[in-house]
Amino acid sequence: MKPNEIDDILRDTLRQEVAETAGALSGLEEQILGELDERRPRLRVSDWLRQMLAPTRGGRIGQLSVVGATAAICLLIGFFVAQQVASDGNAPGIRLTPSRATDGSQEVLFVLPALDATDVSVVGNFNSWEPTALSDEDNDGIWTASIPLPPGRYEYAFVIDGRWWGQDPLADGYVQSFGEYSSVRYVGGGDGA
Amino acid sequence: MNPQGGRSRFALVILVLACLGLSAAAGVPISAFEEAFRAIPVSDPHRFVAAVELGLTQTDFPATEVLQLTGRVSATMYTAQEKEALLLPVIAAMEDGLPVDGLVTKGLEGLARGIPVPQIEQSLRQRRVLLIETRDLLYALGIFSVAPGSPQSVPTAIPTPRFNLLVTHVSDTIADYLEGGGSPFEGQALYQEVRFRLTSLEGATLKAEDVDLVLKRIEPSDLTRVALAAVT
Repeated sequence: MKPNEIDDILRDTLRQEVAETAGALSGLEEQILGELDERRPRLRVSDWLRQMLAPTRGGRIGQLSVVGATAAICLLIGFFVAQQVASDGNAPGIRLTPSRATDGSQEVLFVLPALDATDVSVVGNFNSWEPTALSDEDNDGIWTASIPLPPGRYEYAFVIDGRWWGQDPLADGYVQSFGEYSSVRYVGGGDGA
Repeated sequence: MNPQGGRSRFALVILVLACLGLSAAAGVPISAFEEAFRAIPVSDPHRFVAAVELGLTQTDFPATEVLQLTGRVSATMYTAQEKEALLLPVIAAMEDGLPVDGLVTKGLEGLARGIPVPQIEQSLRQRRVLLIETRDLLYALGIFSVAPGSPQSVPTAIPTPRFNLLVTHVSDTIADYLEGGGSPFEGQALYQEVRFRLTSLEGATLKAEDVDLVLKRIEPSDLTRVALAAVT
């Protein structure tokens, strides 16, 4: 058999397998996103307010005033710290990078199907390469974690039962690091066009 | 609700919030670094502390991450000399006034992956050379950094934090490209990688005019020269 014929056979086989796999995977992403949407707890402000204002023996109005006072104190402390940083930006130990909570962070969803796994986490430059656990509450083998991240570029890998896996299909790209793959996500900004 | 209990709970909440506010404002004290360097122990602690003090003058210095790296290096089973060798490229970069985010996160990644310390050190050394070469390239192309708040004398003078971000991303892209087995002679491929990285971050962490300026002035051959400096 000629090398060209072998190439043709291989190409045809691969094409056939890709076509079959594509059929099996169609709709998987929608299914995962649908399930995640169902799992997300719904925060109903009206229910919360009704609960807080309900006249019960404990005095909900009292609780509400504590929450209000706490929020006011948080604002005052935040204002004080911001003033200090703005007036002395070069002081050692004060970091002027925007606060991770107030600089337009987005909830970034990490999803990994790992049917037989017992422990799945994600490590990356957003958590100093320290594991953040993914959860699979309904034991369907789809592990998820939603992490708030400010705009930027993030390298990460999943750790599945102690093994690193850096090729997330949902990643925007991949880099090789120390001979292993890491996935890359861009949060906010352009599209690399 | 018991009014006495409510008041004490309220006081506790205030106390916790005040503590959190104070610790955030305090940042990482220099004494924490002194202690961490003593734990290794490094041969010249004064040099290390002086470098950190210099780094802390940068508004975007990743103090917490540098301390984490020092702590994790210290916890490895390597000799004090090997631990110090791993930190030296980061310390030298601070002394050069270079942005060290990329070096620190790469060091943390290497340790988390269980990569042998000499291999991490080699990667950090290469990345430091790339930082220097990239900064020099931008200077040579007429792109400068000015202290934040200073009057911008020419349009190519960029405030230091923005300039440092450009240096970090361009040099990091070249480092990733080389580590992924890319040839330094393929300047066009390198240029496309740099272009993709910068435009992907446009509007997120990089300003559109900065990206535009770099991509207009930089040539594929410039990137080949920078890459070659790191591998030779």
